[in-house]
Amino acid sequence: MKLITVLKQVPDAEARIRAGAAGVDLDGVTFVIDGMDEYGVEEAIRLREAGNEVEIVALALGPARYEEAIRTALALGADRAVHIETDVDLDPISQARVLAQVVQQEGADMVLVGGKQADWDSAALGPALAEVLGWPHSDWTTKLELAAGSVTVEHDTDDGHESLSMPLPAVITTQQGLNEPRYPTLPNIMKAKRKELAKRALDEFGAGAGLTQITSQQIQTRERLGKVIEGDAASAAAELVRLLQSEAKVL
Amino acid sequence: MIQFELSDDQKQIQALARSFVRDNVIPVAAQHDREETYPATVVEAAHAVGLLNVSVPESVGGLGLSMLDEALIGEEFGYGCMGIYTILMASELGIMPLLLAATQEQQERFLGPLVEGPRLAAFALSEPNNGSDAGGLRTRAVFDGDEIVISGTKTWISNGGLADFNVVFASFEPALKHKGTVAVVVEKDRPGLSTNKLHGKLGQRASPTYEMFFDDVRVPVSNMLGEKGDGFKIAMRTLDKTRIPVAAGAVGVLRRALDESRKYANEREAFGRTIAQFQAIQFKLANMKIALETARLQTWYAAWLADTGRPHAEAAAIAKAYASDSAFDAAQEAINVFGGYGYMNEYPVEKLMRDVKLNQIFEGTNEIQRVVIARHVLQ
Repeated sequence: MKLITVLKQVPDAEARIRAGAAGVDLDGVTFVIDGMDEYGVEEAIRLREAGNEVEIVALALGPARYEEAIRTALALGADRAVHIETDVDLDPISQARVLAQVVQQEGADMVLVGGKQADWDSAALGPALAEVLGWPHSDWTTKLELAAGSVTVEHDTDDGHESLSMPLPAVITTQQGLNEPRYPTLPNIMKAKRKELAKRALDEFGAGAGLTQITSQQIQTRERLGKVIEGDAASAAAELVRLLQSEAKVL
Repeated sequence: MIQFELSDDQKQIQALARSFVRDNVIPVAAQHDREETYPATVVEAAHAVGLLNVSVPESVGGLGLSMLDEALIGEEFGYGCMGIYTILMASELGIMPLLLAATQEQQERFLGPLVEGPRLAAFALSEPNNGSDAGGLRTRAVFDGDEIVISGTKTWISNGGLADFNVVFASFEPALKHKGTVAVVVEKDRPGLSTNKLHGKLGQRASPTYEMFFDDVRVPVSNMLGEKGDGFKIAMRTLDKTRIPVAAGAVGVLRRALDESRKYANEREAFGRTIAQFQAIQFKLANMKIALETARLQTWYAAWLADTGRPHAEAAAIAKAYASDSAFDAAQEAINVFGGYGYMNEYPVEKLMRDVKLNQIFEGTNEIQRVVIARHVLQ
């Protein structure tokens, strides 16, 4: 069977991000493979190690710099990769429409993608991909077992978690708890150089400008009220409780 | 044309080494330092991800990484624990003479096994009464038919007693001085070889250091590297290269000193503000940054010269002396930033100073590096 792991390259969690008039400034930022997507790559490798005959294809849509993250996936154990190279920022639904075409061309049996994308903090890509493909979908998956022609998963819900069984092909979104991703070993990093990395252009897929346009960007900063409560301790405490209840609404 | 960009492979090697050190080295560094114990699980884990013995050539099953690759790995390990890095570094030091002078058969026999398990190599040059004067070796090599009989004592040998093999330098004809020396591979299990782990080092206490006694140890002549008389030359050509990882480890220590100082300076308050707001502290951080950037550039430059087959002895000596001297200065300034806390082993900076002191001494003291540099200046 064929597994596709969709991945993104995002700023390192420790990177300092600045926003200017022209948008988010990523100059000098270190990029890594999105941690949420890494769980999907790891799960695909584990399915192979469990004795399943699988081909693992890493699939990414993004700028040239994504190649580093794709190489990481190849070093971890993906067999080959497809990179749709573009500098265009697409919303998740437009991304899903492009990625779904590759998934269909490849004839994949399962797509693994992070439950959330760390760049824009969107959790839409997996569900949108399932919608475009018309496939069943499990989000926030923490356990996955393959059977003949189907997959059984556990996934988180608001109140706890539930088990689902669904026929293949299916879209699975991954998260912390599914597994513990390994390091790419040095020998595998060297071998990854010789693995196929196919480049595709965005205009092959008839993608337009996307459904949403970014009109402005800001970095969220915590603003202080600078409020000083006057009076003796007892009345100041009473006023503080009132403010926390009625204004801050945290009590 | 000049460019400072690492290749994609190199960025991945760097990222792997950084994650590995964060997860496997930093959490155990203080304990191995205190207890003076060998970090076997770290060495096993390093082997499992391929970070051990990285210079073993592809032709005998290794990765054949370059000196620049090694410098990237060295900086990351130096950041985590210079003592633990010395175990890996000293193994590469034991491998280097074979890269320079071994036949393909010798490389297969000695280097091939080093990639199959968490195994180490070592380099045995220093003697109790002979360090910098490498031409005055007292260890004897007597040629007896198709065997070489080695007798004498070596000391300060990192990994010596643990290594699968030591490359031992000995004199077969003292009157010939440098030209009377040989480099011989001596396997661990040869009868007559005994070792003693030394205790009481100031720093780098996770790295096991040995004295080694050769009591008429017999090895086949086929264990000799190069020709009779090549010993000193092989030792010097080895050190001209392996001083680069010593510099890289020091760059890692420097980066750690800066990181720890920056973090502490942003937390600690005095006179109503964080101490990072005082110029006295800012200047220390700035000086560390100046040293970090320049030491790394010189280290990478020396590595690039070595990798592209250019003369690199002087550049490597500059990198080694400059990186280790400035890392020592940065580590002791980090203690000043921390004040009293910096003097306690509860905080990581006093260990940086104890550890990097050794980078100023081993693989040729920094005085010897200056002799090498001056020789090039006066040439």
